[in-house]
Amino acid sequence: MVERTLRVEARLGLHARAAARLVRVASRFRSSLRLERCDGGATADAKSILSVLMLAASCGTELRIVAEGVDEEQAIREVGELFAASFEEADPSVK
Amino acid sequence: MKTEPREIRWHGLGVSEGLVIGRVLRMHNGTKYVYRTTVEEAEIEHELRRFHAAVRLARRQLTAIKERAEKELGRDHAYIFDAHLLLLEDEKLIGDVEQFITEERINAEWAVKVVSDHLLVVYSEIKDDYLRERGSDIEDVVQRLVVALSGERPKQSSLSEHSVIVSHDLLPSAVAELDLEHARAIATDLGGWTSHTAILARGLGVPAVVGLRDFYRRARTGDVVIVDSFRGDVVLHPSPQTLEQYQTEVASRALGGRTELAPLETGPVLTQDGVEIILRANVELPAEFDGVRKYGARGVGLYRSEFLLTRLGGMLSEEEQYAAYVAVAKLAAGEGAIVRLFDLGGEQARNSLSESERNPALGLRAIRFGLRHEPTIRTQVRAILRAANEGRLDIVLPMIVDVHDVQRAREIIKQEQVRLAEEGIPQGSVRVGAMIEVPAAVLTAEKIARTVDFFELGTNDLVQYTLAVDRGNDEVAEWFRTLHPAVLQGIAQSLKAAQQAGIPAIVCGEMASTPVYAALLVGLGATDLSMTPSSIPRVRRALTSIDSKSVSRIAAECLSCATANEVEELIRDRFGRQWPDVFDPDSLPLPKG
Repeated sequence: MVERTLRVEARLGLHARAAARLVRVASRFRSSLRLERCDGGATADAKSILSVLMLAASCGTELRIVAEGVDEEQAIREVGELFAASFEEADPSVK
Repeated sequence: MKTEPREIRWHGLGVSEGLVIGRVLRMHNGTKYVYRTTVEEAEIEHELRRFHAAVRLARRQLTAIKERAEKELGRDHAYIFDAHLLLLEDEKLIGDVEQFITEERINAEWAVKVVSDHLLVVYSEIKDDYLRERGSDIEDVVQRLVVALSGERPKQSSLSEHSVIVSHDLLPSAVAELDLEHARAIATDLGGWTSHTAILARGLGVPAVVGLRDFYRRARTGDVVIVDSFRGDVVLHPSPQTLEQYQTEVASRALGGRTELAPLETGPVLTQDGVEIILRANVELPAEFDGVRKYGARGVGLYRSEFLLTRLGGMLSEEEQYAAYVAVAKLAAGEGAIVRLFDLGGEQARNSLSESERNPALGLRAIRFGLRHEPTIRTQVRAILRAANEGRLDIVLPMIVDVHDVQRAREIIKQEQVRLAEEGIPQGSVRVGAMIEVPAAVLTAEKIARTVDFFELGTNDLVQYTLAVDRGNDEVAEWFRTLHPAVLQGIAQSLKAAQQAGIPAIVCGEMASTPVYAALLVGLGATDLSMTPSSIPRVRRALTSIDSKSVSRIAAECLSCATANEVEELIRDRFGRQWPDVFDPDSLPLPKG
């Protein structure tokens, strides 16, 4: 099991579009991925969009990400990258 | 169901001119009623299969929409449909519905509704405004599922040529997103002349008939339909004879070449006795920008900035707004553009920022919203001030009640000017005006005039608030009377206050778009009007044919009337008699039965 704490930097928070990207990425891995609000508010399955949306993570919310399974290291790394990029797709043409 | 469907006619209100023969494209965004029925134990399996089939159908539809959106709008916009697709794949949503069907022995529609209502309740408790609004994504998906269960097929993906968009009530954002290559006309059950849907349709030049009551329920996607907004008629399943008759009319109208073929004048607009009237453009969408120069507008009299938000979804950053305002300033060139600060709340708020209010027209909207959500107004003001360095821009404050509102807003503007100066960021000077659109502002107009650089009279809201009539409510449409003497008094009084204070006053409501009303406004003392760009040639023609003294006399008579009927009768008589060639009887208010 690996875990990491991340902050939602996206201006509009984990809204539908951002959540969709997160779920798409999370679903690629065999490991389970859990998101927990650091303020203890709620927990979500990163592979369920409904669950992610219900976290109501607005901009600035701190989340603990817990990955568990065979590819847990890579899963948490890629999810971390997604957070760092504020859920924008990596596109070299965009600054 | 093999019999030939019979021709049916509806009569509504034509709010944007045109005659179109096309095919119905239903757009569902009203609530579909769902009923509860219990099912036999043996039927549960069947109910589950129906549900799974509906999910598959909805997924196919969404995949097609997503692909189309990727092509036409770009990947960024398509992602929202990806979210909708994921919702349909969500094990929790699917699992809960299945469980409900099985345990409660109920029909799939009801199970979908109960499960989604439960989710929406959870959603409505979310503290963050923006995220809470995302509940609408769940509603959207649920709506699609319910429609799929009903066996109807909304073919959004095949927006073929000559589509007539048919909806119960079309949201402004839905109009803004229409594919104008293919959407040829709009027909809706609700709405009135001044609803935002109508204003947008006029701006985009898409023919529209609204107020059709139960048309949406009866029309099916793919049905042949005629939309005749000149007469306010909609004909479903036209008979071969009817079809031929309209085809001839479409052809002759095309030959008659309406406003398009006439050479457009662009010089100063002078009445017969030499009073110059300035005609400006109201704009909100980039699609309307072309019209500003084409129709000879003297700059932009009203830029409805909140449409930036309904189009793009969510609040925009300072940079995004800056780019939009620079574009408007460049468009308006030397004449300048007046940016109205976000007029959020009321009908726009349904799909943007504020939570639902019992009485949104009287609620936290326009300048009140800005003063409550200071960061929003400050970001907007900064973007405008910076853009004013690239071209002439002014700011108008919406829904001002009294001097206190003006002072608070001006204080914020001043602070942002100082901050920009301290940060060494270039900015341009702006004038600050007040929208006069509520009775309190009319009654204190003399005081307000001393605290602002100009007035703008929003006649749509002035009618709504003066007469206490909801402009979007079909039930009270007969009380929405633009020519009510109380409204005319308010306009005259506000214009006089501006004149005494020596500040300009621009009349920018839809009233200015109708030639005879525009002439009446000149009679009431207006010399500066702002309207939908495509109306400018007609208004120009009317105003250059009249003389200001005659219309002043008519206006004075109108002011002494007791009812809207009296005013309308008077206008019909006076204008029809004095300028029969300018105002044909069809363009004048109809006599009341």
